[in-house]
Amino acid sequence: MFGEDDLVRQHKGRGDLIGNIIVGCFILILARLWYLQIYQGDLFYQFSIENQLRKEIIKAPRGMIFSRNSELLTHNIPRFDAIIIPQYLKSKTFTLKKLANVLEMSVADIEKILKKNRGQARYRPVTIKKNISLKEVSIIETENSKMPGVRVQTFISREYRDGETGAHLLGYISEINQRQLPRYRNRDGYDYKLGDFIGQAGIEEKFDLQLRGDDGFEFVEVDARGRMRRNIRSNALFSGIENKEAVPGNNIRLTVDRDMQIAAFKALEEKVGSAVAVDVNTGEILAMVSRPAFDPTKFSKGLTKEYWSSLVNDERNPLRDRTIQEHYAPGSTFKTFTAIAALEEKIVTAEQELKCGGTYRLGRRVYHDWKRGGHGLTNVYKALRRSVDVYFYQIATQLDIDILAKYAKMFGFGEKTGISLSRETSGLIPTKEWKKKRSGEDWQLGETLSCVIGQSYVLATPLQLAMAYATIGNGGTLYKPYLIKEIFSNSGEIIEEAKPTELGKVEVSKESLKAVQRGLYEVVNNRRGTAYWYRGIGLEMAGKTGTAQVRSMSSKELFSRCEDMPYKDRHHGIFVGYAPYDNPKVAVAAVVEHGCHGSSAAAPVVRDVITTYMKKYMPEAHAKNSEKQRREYRKMLQERKRKEEAKKKREEALQAQEASLSQTGESEE
Amino acid sequence: MNRTALVDFFKRYDFTFFGIALAIFIMGVFNLYSATHASTSETMAGLFKVQAVRFALSMVVGLGVSFIAPKNYFRYSYFFYAVSVALLVLVLVLGHKGMGAQRWILLGPIRLQPSEITKIAVVLVLGRWYARTSPDKELGFKELIIPAILVMVPTVLIVAEPDLGTGLLVILIFLVISFYRRLKWKTIGILAVLALVSGGVMYKFGLKEYQRKRIVTFLNPGADARGSGYNAIQSKIAIGSGKFIGKGYLKSSQASLNYLPENHTDFVFSIFNEEHGFIGSLILISLYLILFFRFIWLSQSVPRMFDSIVAIGLMALFFWHTFINMGMVMGLMPIVGLPLPLMSYGGSSLMTFGICIGLATSISNARNLF
Repeated sequence: MFGEDDLVRQHKGRGDLIGNIIVGCFILILARLWYLQIYQGDLFYQFSIENQLRKEIIKAPRGMIFSRNSELLTHNIPRFDAIIIPQYLKSKTFTLKKLANVLEMSVADIEKILKKNRGQARYRPVTIKKNISLKEVSIIETENSKMPGVRVQTFISREYRDGETGAHLLGYISEINQRQLPRYRNRDGYDYKLGDFIGQAGIEEKFDLQLRGDDGFEFVEVDARGRMRRNIRSNALFSGIENKEAVPGNNIRLTVDRDMQIAAFKALEEKVGSAVAVDVNTGEILAMVSRPAFDPTKFSKGLTKEYWSSLVNDERNPLRDRTIQEHYAPGSTFKTFTAIAALEEKIVTAEQELKCGGTYRLGRRVYHDWKRGGHGLTNVYKALRRSVDVYFYQIATQLDIDILAKYAKMFGFGEKTGISLSRETSGLIPTKEWKKKRSGEDWQLGETLSCVIGQSYVLATPLQLAMAYATIGNGGTLYKPYLIKEIFSNSGEIIEEAKPTELGKVEVSKESLKAVQRGLYEVVNNRRGTAYWYRGIGLEMAGKTGTAQVRSMSSKELFSRCEDMPYKDRHHGIFVGYAPYDNPKVAVAAVVEHGCHGSSAAAPVVRDVITTYMKKYMPEAHAKNSEKQRREYRKMLQERKRKEEAKKKREEALQAQEASLSQTGESEE
Repeated sequence: MNRTALVDFFKRYDFTFFGIALAIFIMGVFNLYSATHASTSETMAGLFKVQAVRFALSMVVGLGVSFIAPKNYFRYSYFFYAVSVALLVLVLVLGHKGMGAQRWILLGPIRLQPSEITKIAVVLVLGRWYARTSPDKELGFKELIIPAILVMVPTVLIVAEPDLGTGLLVILIFLVISFYRRLKWKTIGILAVLALVSGGVMYKFGLKEYQRKRIVTFLNPGADARGSGYNAIQSKIAIGSGKFIGKGYLKSSQASLNYLPENHTDFVFSIFNEEHGFIGSLILISLYLILFFRFIWLSQSVPRMFDSIVAIGLMALFFWHTFINMGMVMGLMPIVGLPLPLMSYGGSSLMTFGICIGLATSISNARNLF
């Protein structure tokens, strides 16, 4: 590489030029420094000593949540916290004593709180007491000059109009915690800070990004004691600083009907259970209630330790949304789908009658019917109406479990429905392959016998049950359940509008569906139906009861009175139904844990919810049906009266006859 | 190596680069202590020690680099380049697996930041290309095509990470090297006009205000897009309040600046100015200028074209970091988050500058080696 010297020398001109440019650049830097430090130096110096520039965050108002009929379900209410900014805290003992007096706390308590927050920057506010009263606010504000560093902070508290009624559905918001902070910053690309409230469950969580809006900020000048002096815009020094306005969050209109939600909540009373109501023809969720519940307002106001521990320590787990996060053996409500499979696979015809005794023997094991004596000859209508176990046991011997699973899956079982809420569970529909994978053992025929009546491995969520029965009701279309009707901005502009999503059409003949629909109709409307006494007034409901065993039991236990068993052993009561039966609009599933019977525990819940629906959305049909039912009832009463009178007359006549006979006898003696 | 050879070696050894670096670093570590000592967090308060250890480490590596003759860097420049591009691809792939942006690869305890290596690799590869491809002629558009491709490949990868600042820096280094390699004035003029026109068109018609903001936050989420105005103002107050002689060491009163998360990385120069004033800055800037002119001197006194171009390239790397960082803290430029060489806290950048110093020393030592 000799002789390159010349080459290098050729570039000297450019090298020198680069040197000059660099000098030029630094002259620019020095000029700027001169301008800042010498020309404006005094101004900046004064400012840095006396004042400070602070960025005040302006919280964006959180979007509102409305019911399907545009009733407001949430409120944003201003609340006040007493805070201390440690940076400005002067004459500490005196100030703390005074503050302790105002807030009715001890100085030691305040010091403890300050100590706990020592790790964070000194200009960051430390909350001393949440939710202070207006009186306390006014004292702190007027005595402000005597308590440097103490301030009142306004925040918007999220309150829920119907309290516990919408707890699981709407969810709640609470402060972002240390663990979530980095995760959510990454997830949303949004610069969350400690103290920010975010949705932590339900709709509030899933649609947090929509509801949250975008915080703004404003620059203010504060003096050495931390008091605001003036808006920075008036200071020429800071021309060019731009404040940013807060953008309010978007609003959400739900598919949920407030009255039905309240009806379901009331109907569940103090029971442990849940209810889901869906629109049969769209998949819209009309009501979704889980009990026991919690008060979401208490979360957003700042959770107290006592309330939190009372929730966490409650064995019944009030935080769990039982409509989607819990799955149950569907019990007899699953027989409907076994019947469909049996009809479709031509194992039986609808009218074909099977002989059903009180037990069914498979090898050495005896399977019991719920009714000791059995039911006699049974076709598919009676099998559903009376929930005849032995009928389905007989079908089970000819029905491959994988075939049953195929039909169950068409109706949405065994898979998450995909509703826009967190932590949904998928339930379970067993197959041979599944069992092999799980335990390494082959499928047993006896297990099919349990599965056809919705016991053993079969598991479903209340939402899945409601959707499956809606599918029967609407003639075979499985919809994806959804909760959001529309999302609209604060100015009313519609951002997102939901439309029904079909997940699939079931491959089941019209005849089979018709047969099952008739069976379900008879469950409620036939005098021998298992839910006849809970049919309500004017509903024209169809449905199916289910009673799910919590654990396997001996026959002796099985026939003992459920109410006499220990609470934990009692059966779950399940009822799923839709109405009106000839043109279904609404389907409702209810599960009452340890409620013993599907009929007495769960059916009234469904009945109440459907009654609310009918009264609100189909008042004419409801009135007409009620009238019809009343007429029939009156007729029945009259009939009964007539019969009784006739009977009485007969008896009287008989007595009279006897009396006259004995009289004659006496007289004969 | 006998004794005389050893003495010879040390006689030839150019200590100036290490000397200037050490001088700037000493000012830096004292300044870092001042910036963090008031912090309530113990890790923060101990950062200056971590920084000292890292500096020592980077100097050791730099010394190692300086003992290798420049002809080896020439020989392996394409290899270095290929490795750095491969690492950039790797970091993109790995980064996509996790969430969000990722700029480094973990190798045991070492956090490898491929974009840092790329800065040096680009300088070397451009040095080799320009030194080998008719170095006696001026550059026109045609001669720019292949170097531009060599530069754009890693740049696109870096910007995709996303790290807009470093991507920009690589392009700026490319421009300085090409200028030095006698890019025709006509070409420079046309390029400048093209840049102005396309920039203007983009600004006027291509993007809406919120789109521009969105793109910047997308490419560089690390920069606090909403708060940058606040940081810039606080920084300006700090610098301005230093006046002529400063408030004195450890007397930075711009308290809230002490709690800004970036005050020990991007904003060290503000603290320095507040405490040492215009005079202090004059001294610090002089040190940087001495370093830059030593690089330029080096580029003129080497016998090989490759060495000369690399010297200019390394100078450009230092210069742009310094100029952009100072410009942004005093409100002359938007905040892009580039460290001030040898002053800012940060292991990866220290290591890069250490290697650069070693490379320059190696080139300088080879000056008279025939």
